[in-house]
Amino acid sequence: MNEALTDPILLSFIAGLGISGYYMTRDNFKTTSLLISSLLFAGIGIVSSSYTYIIHNKMVVQGTTSFCSSEGIVQCGSVIGDPTWNNLFGVPWGIFGIISFALLIYLSLSLYLDRHAKWAESYLQYSWWAGLAGLPFVALLVIIELTQVEGAPHICPFCTVAHVSLIGYVLTIYYLKNNQMNGKWVDSE
Amino acid sequence: MARRRKSLAPKGRDDDVRIIAGFALGSILTAIMILVVVIAPPATIGPSEGELAPDFSTDAYSGANWENFRLSDSFDYEWNADEQGEWILIQFIDTDCPYCWTEGETMSSLHSQWSNDVEFITIAVELSINGHDSDRAEIEAFRDKTNYGTDDNDGNGCNSGRDNCINRPGTVHNWVYAEATSGIMSDWEITGTPFLAILQPDGYVAWNQYENDESIEDAMERLVGGSQ
Repeated sequence: MNEALTDPILLSFIAGLGISGYYMTRDNFKTTSLLISSLLFAGIGIVSSSYTYIIHNKMVVQGTTSFCSSEGIVQCGSVIGDPTWNNLFGVPWGIFGIISFALLIYLSLSLYLDRHAKWAESYLQYSWWAGLAGLPFVALLVIIELTQVEGAPHICPFCTVAHVSLIGYVLTIYYLKNNQMNGKWVDSE
Repeated sequence: MARRRKSLAPKGRDDDVRIIAGFALGSILTAIMILVVVIAPPATIGPSEGELAPDFSTDAYSGANWENFRLSDSFDYEWNADEQGEWILIQFIDTDCPYCWTEGETMSSLHSQWSNDVEFITIAVELSINGHDSDRAEIEAFRDKTNYGTDDNDGNGCNSGRDNCINRPGTVHNWVYAEATSGIMSDWEITGTPFLAILQPDGYVAWNQYENDESIEDAMERLVGGSQ
């Protein structure tokens, strides 16, 4: 089995994604569970983005890192370590991930703390559009991994965790919007 | 008379939780930044002395064919200042730039003196100047001193098309000639050519031509040591 896939940190991220998914479907898509799920997805997204940023810094300064495999198809050494594709206008992708997920956490946390506030409906819309805005970047990064980086195709597992987090986040917001439109915004017992 | 029950729509909290969310997010971001700085602080990357040289991956010609070349593959990340190691001389040229044309001889001379201790890398750029169009064939001819163009100042050849590349001053340059991309030029802040920089074996910029008046020969002597 690929060494990268047995990494305990990666397994923790995958477990976190599983828990987030569980919260999404728990109690028949109740609003509270969905809000917790969105927070969890965004939380895993920001932590995994931070982790890729740490790997990026290690690769730049040391040329290699024990934090991530550089062998095989599933690895991040050739993806995060590729000087041509590991940044956007000189800014590492991990930084973009941290900023984007920070925004999503802020929106979801505000909704979680007071879903009945006057601004709640707008914040739900902002969450939806902010999440959707990230999807083209996920597509772009997957294309880069599969076709552009040195020795492509490669799949960077920690990057994939961040991508799945964003997709999961968008899904939870979709169900939240459904709840709001169908009069299920207030959880029934 | 029965009193009509007023259905109460859920009301939001009196305090603005967005401030609490903002503070919570601030705390999370602070914790992340502290963690990043402790575990893997970001390096200062750039062409200035003391900065880590901007890495790049591009196609390069080393006398036979064009292959992928990555600058950081030449770095020795374990290098210590009190150790021997292979230094790196980076030269940015435009095959049509007259100063680069004459610097061909200087580079040959430097290579004959320091090739055992220094890896030479030339990066060929194409400046946005009229008459500075070049292609891979011209880069190969400039490096190898082979027949390309004429000496008739007809725009055909090296040195702004004034010369046949076979007449470039100096000897054949037996080192890698990499093809610049716009990303490399911007990372290295290249606005003109020629440009020279000496990198330590671990990839940090030790000497930048634009940052001091020391000649390249003196800088090589001071940093790398006695010539062969």
